[in-house]
Amino acid sequence: MPRPGEHLARTLPGIWQGRSLRRNLATLPTGHAALDRQLPGHGWPLGAISELLTETTGHGEFSLLMPALAELSARGQWVVLVDPPWIPYPPAMSGYGISMERVMLIRTRTPEESLWACEQVLRDIRGGAVLAWHDDPGFTRLRRLQLAARSALKTGFLFRPHTMAHQASPAALRLQLSADPPGTRIRVLKCQGQRAAESIFIRHSPHLPGKTRPVADPEQDSAKGLSRPQSAPMETHQPYAH
Amino acid sequence: MALECPRLALDLATRGLASGQECAIAIHDSDRRRQAILDCNPVAGRAGVRAGMATSAALGLVTDLKLIPRDPAAERAALERLATLCYRYSSQVEKLEADNALLLEIGGSQRLFGHTREITQCLERELLQLGYRVRIGTAATPEAARLAARKGLHIPPGARIGQHIARLPLDALSLEPAQKAALHKMGFRRIGEVLRLPRKALSRRLGTGVVDYLDRLTGARPDPRKGWRPPEHFCSSMDLAAETSSSQALLFPLQRLVTELCATLRARDRGAQQLAFELRHEQGCEALQLGLQQPGRSEERIMLLLRERLHSLQLTAPVRQVSLQVPRLLPFEILHESLFADESGTDSEGIRSVLERLQARLGQRAVRGLAGVQDHRPEHSWSTRELDEPATCHSMPHRPVWLFSQPQRCRIEEYRLLAGPERIETGWWDGHDCRRDYFVVQDDTGRVLWAFHEYKPQPGWYLQGLFA
Repeated sequence: MPRPGEHLARTLPGIWQGRSLRRNLATLPTGHAALDRQLPGHGWPLGAISELLTETTGHGEFSLLMPALAELSARGQWVVLVDPPWIPYPPAMSGYGISMERVMLIRTRTPEESLWACEQVLRDIRGGAVLAWHDDPGFTRLRRLQLAARSALKTGFLFRPHTMAHQASPAALRLQLSADPPGTRIRVLKCQGQRAAESIFIRHSPHLPGKTRPVADPEQDSAKGLSRPQSAPMETHQPYAH
Repeated sequence: MALECPRLALDLATRGLASGQECAIAIHDSDRRRQAILDCNPVAGRAGVRAGMATSAALGLVTDLKLIPRDPAAERAALERLATLCYRYSSQVEKLEADNALLLEIGGSQRLFGHTREITQCLERELLQLGYRVRIGTAATPEAARLAARKGLHIPPGARIGQHIARLPLDALSLEPAQKAALHKMGFRRIGEVLRLPRKALSRRLGTGVVDYLDRLTGARPDPRKGWRPPEHFCSSMDLAAETSSSQALLFPLQRLVTELCATLRARDRGAQQLAFELRHEQGCEALQLGLQQPGRSEERIMLLLRERLHSLQLTAPVRQVSLQVPRLLPFEILHESLFADESGTDSEGIRSVLERLQARLGQRAVRGLAGVQDHRPEHSWSTRELDEPATCHSMPHRPVWLFSQPQRCRIEEYRLLAGPERIETGWWDGHDCRRDYFVVQDDTGRVLWAFHEYKPQPGWYLQGLFA
């Protein structure tokens, strides 16, 4: 028996039922199957801002987005980075499949300028993604960014410290990321539809250098003291005399 | 067609004022020993200031009168700019600097722009928008057109000029005052009477110049003029009647300058790419450079960028003069938009305008692209680039995604080794040679980092990147 309102929820875009995940959202596949299963629409929401709250930076939150960014890059759309904490390394990004032709790096002097730049880019470049690192934009500012993203069908990703989790936010999707070696643990704080109860574990494997041999026994090496990791490959080629 | 600017000096002075800022302004002639008022604006006129009055008398009538000396150089520059604007309507323009007048040949332009009346109205409107009041007159010969401009007449081309100007008084003619006085003494009052005189007698009495002039006036003798070519740059400045130190109040005079620039660009079918604004105050001047991605002449776009730039500008002293210089006028192309909007692709026009706005407010180097450089040393193997340069990047999937701007020293005991070593030894040709062993390490919190042990130049353990 069709439930009341189900027909409406299926046809009108702004309505969804609380118990089910939304199916008819425009999304960008995340590239991680475990994450896709739990997100409404099975992907990052297009035309909206997704907030990624991290405990500490550098735990795989950037490489989490890489498959999606590579997809956008393949479609010929722009990827804009606004005030990243470190230098995004072009050869590594190329390795993930992102074309450097359509990557823009913006460096601003004040947080206010940073938000302004985000808004300009969100509003006026159709399609693509904007990645911003900002601690506390404020509810109204974030709402403006969300509206700008919707009008231009852009995907925005905002990285914030996890201490901001308690703050209300108009972002369409909020994820909390925490480190859980050898991967990242993701909890969905807010999404359009039913929230996943348990957290999602994404294993991330840094691509290891291909030519070298991985160190066999980490404990043994730490016992030896890593200040002298002399091993056979190094001693053989010494073109310079010390 | 002849175009006269009878009150050019006053127009130049009041151009920079918005309509709400009315104050009494008078132009005085600074050459002569006794300084006399040449012209004044309506506010001063209502208070009783008249042309020919001594400056001291005028100051007595209106205490806060602004006296501006007449600047012939500025008037010449203004005439040059007006000539450039009129170049849009005619390809044969001549400047008459002595009288602040311009002559245009519009017979050939009538087909494109419409009847004489329409051209007149268009020109008057355009110049009024820029702040210049002009008198326009048309006739078949240049001299007759100048006469017509003085009286505001439009003599149709097929008619006999003599008939139309017969009733006008003698002082409309461009003759020497002595010659006019002589004709007056002889009893002639109207031009028609002078035109009917026998030529030989007239030339004997007043000289051949008068007869020559009358011939050129009626069209009996041809009057070839040398054409004028417009310059390939734009330079305009405006003295502000009231010193202002708020950047918002500066928008109005700057808008006037930009309007003039855009009208000039349209007339010449050119675009501007580098605009240099200068705000001059007592201690010096502030320079504002505005750059467009492509040569453009859209007033809204330039004003938008200017507003962003002025937003962040701090004025140290009240500004007295603003000026705009565009050193090169570049050929302009109109971009064609496709009829059907492309949903999936991006619009390059949108990117360009966003770039301009970002660079106007954040600075030229704030927005960059990335590219890879073929070099084994990680810190040299990437670079920023201008967004319109080609980007090539080799792909190295096993490198960390984040690179620290400077390698940071670390204590390697705190880290767990995951993979390594990878020897990089290179760079002897530019003095930054290095010999390093790279390892992938993990710290207590679980972050995976890229560390290296350097043998030279500075031995030790450093962290260089982050796999995040």
